[in-house]
Order: sequence, then structure tokens, then C-alpha cells
Amino acid sequence: MIETRKLDLAWITLVLLSIGSAGVGGTADPDLGVTAIIALVMGVKVRIVCTYFMELDTASRRIRRSMYAFCYGMPTVVVLTSVFGDVIARLTAVLM
Amino acid sequence: MNSAATFPLHAPVLGRIPGNKAIWVGIYCEVTEFALMFLVYFIARAHHPVSFSGGHAQLSLLAGTAYTVALLSSGYCVARGLVAMRRARRQACLRWLAAAFVIGAIYPVVKFFEVRWNLANGLDGDAGVFFVTYYYLTFNHLVHVFWGLLGLLWVMVRTGAGSYTAEEHDGLEAFACYWHTTDIIWLMIFPLFYMLR
Repeated sequence: MIETRKLDLAWITLVLLSIGSAGVGGTADPDLGVTAIIALVMGVKVRIVCTYFMELDTASRRIRRSMYAFCYGMPTVVVLTSVFGDVIARLTAVLM
Repeated sequence: MNSAATFPLHAPVLGRIPGNKAIWVGIYCEVTEFALMFLVYFIARAHHPVSFSGGHAQLSLLAGTAYTVALLSSGYCVARGLVAMRRARRQACLRWLAAAFVIGAIYPVVKFFEVRWNLANGLDGDAGVFFVTYYYLTFNHLVHVFWGLLGLLWVMVRTGAGSYTAEEHDGLEAFACYWHTTDIIWLMIFPLFYMLR
């Protein structure tokens, strides 16, 4: 597949995922499943941008790993903070 | 004959530093800055779950989606511009960059109308902890978008002046990395404020 076709498909996928996830997030009842779906879509979109727009797959290992750690870490934190919100509040009570 | 065959692509080398080292110092600073702000967001969310679970309903999901589509589309145009430059198609690159600027400029325009609407409905910095973190994070992101738009103008001037070639366009690639990082940050901010409950 030529380079431009990959970019076209990546862009269309990103736009559709954005509109689709907005539909889910805007209408669904709040629960852990919806949070997990939103976090998953976030991770997929970020990965597409990193791979096809930023071309991180050709970057040095250090740059690639650190950016992917940030990109995958964030959706993971979204889910974990939904599950362990009480624990976080207790551990950080001194800050508030 | 298609353009891909007419203009051979100068493909990026494996294991390289995209753009240049300086831009990656900037990108890591940006990522660290936002990581700290996300940390504040999660701590505030843990302490004020009611405020955060109801906050998104007061924001315009349409505006949030418009920002997302605008930034992604602008990033796509920059990526296409980079491919055009690698094929030594300078004019095509310039057109893609111009499109990226016009589409990217939608972001501050929508932001202006969204903030005006928010303020008209009493959703200012005194409207609760959700809106404090919302304004702090999104205005910081807006500042980065402004820098990106200025950078986009700069690489357009450089492209128009013939400063970049198919073999040597590190400056253009460095800008692209910054712009895509700004995209990535927004892709994280968007669900935190407009979708999560």
C-alpha cells in the first residue's frame, strides 16, 4: 500500500473513531465498561497518530518506547483511577 | 502514471531521531507538563467525583468533537505535506501545509465561541473544581496550538523559499512531530472532560 493511501485510511479511521466514541460517551450510562471503551478508543487513536502520522515505528528505540509508554499509560490510568478513585482520594487526602 | 511512481519517495531511515534532537527536548517538556496536569486532574477527580461526573454534561460535546476532527485533519494534512516533500513536490507540500493551517485555525475559532457560550451560562472558573481543571488544561493546550500554528506559518515560509528538499527537510519533520504531539495531547484531554463521567 502506498504511503498516501495509508495516511488516508488512518485519517478516516481517526475521524470515525472520534465521532463514534463521542456518540458512546455522550449517551451511555456511566459504568466501568463505558470507561474502558473510551480508554481503549483513546489508546487506539493515539497509536494510529504515533504510527502513521509521526512515523514512530522508524524512530529510535528510546523515543519510540517513551512515547508509547505515555500513550498507553494514559488510557490505563483512566481505567485504574475509575476503579480505585477512593484509594487515590485517601492516599492524596493530605494534598487537599 | 501515478505520482508515487513519478516521484520516488525518500523513505525515513530506521532508528533515526525524527526531525531533530531539539524538538524532542521540547516534546518531552510538553509531555511532562501535561502529564503533571493530568495527575492533578485525576487527584481532583478522586476527591470530587460528583463534580466531575456531572461536569461533562455542561460542556458542548459538539465543540469537543469539532476540535478533535479539526486537529486530526490538520495533522493529516501535515503528514501528507511531509510525504509530498519527500517526493520533491514542493508546491504540493505547500498546499498541504496551507490546508493544515486553515483547518488547524478552526480550533481557536471554535474555542472562542465555546468559551463565550460557557461564560454566558455561568460556567467560569468559579463554577467548581471541574471547570478549574478544565480551563487550566484546555487553555494550556490552546497555547500549544497557537505555537503550532506559528510554527506552521514558519515552515510554510521556509517551504515556499525552497529551504527544504526531498533529502533535507529536518525542520519540516520536526514541526510535524510537534504538531502531532499536540494532537495526541488533545486526544487525551477530549475524553477526560467531554465524555468520562
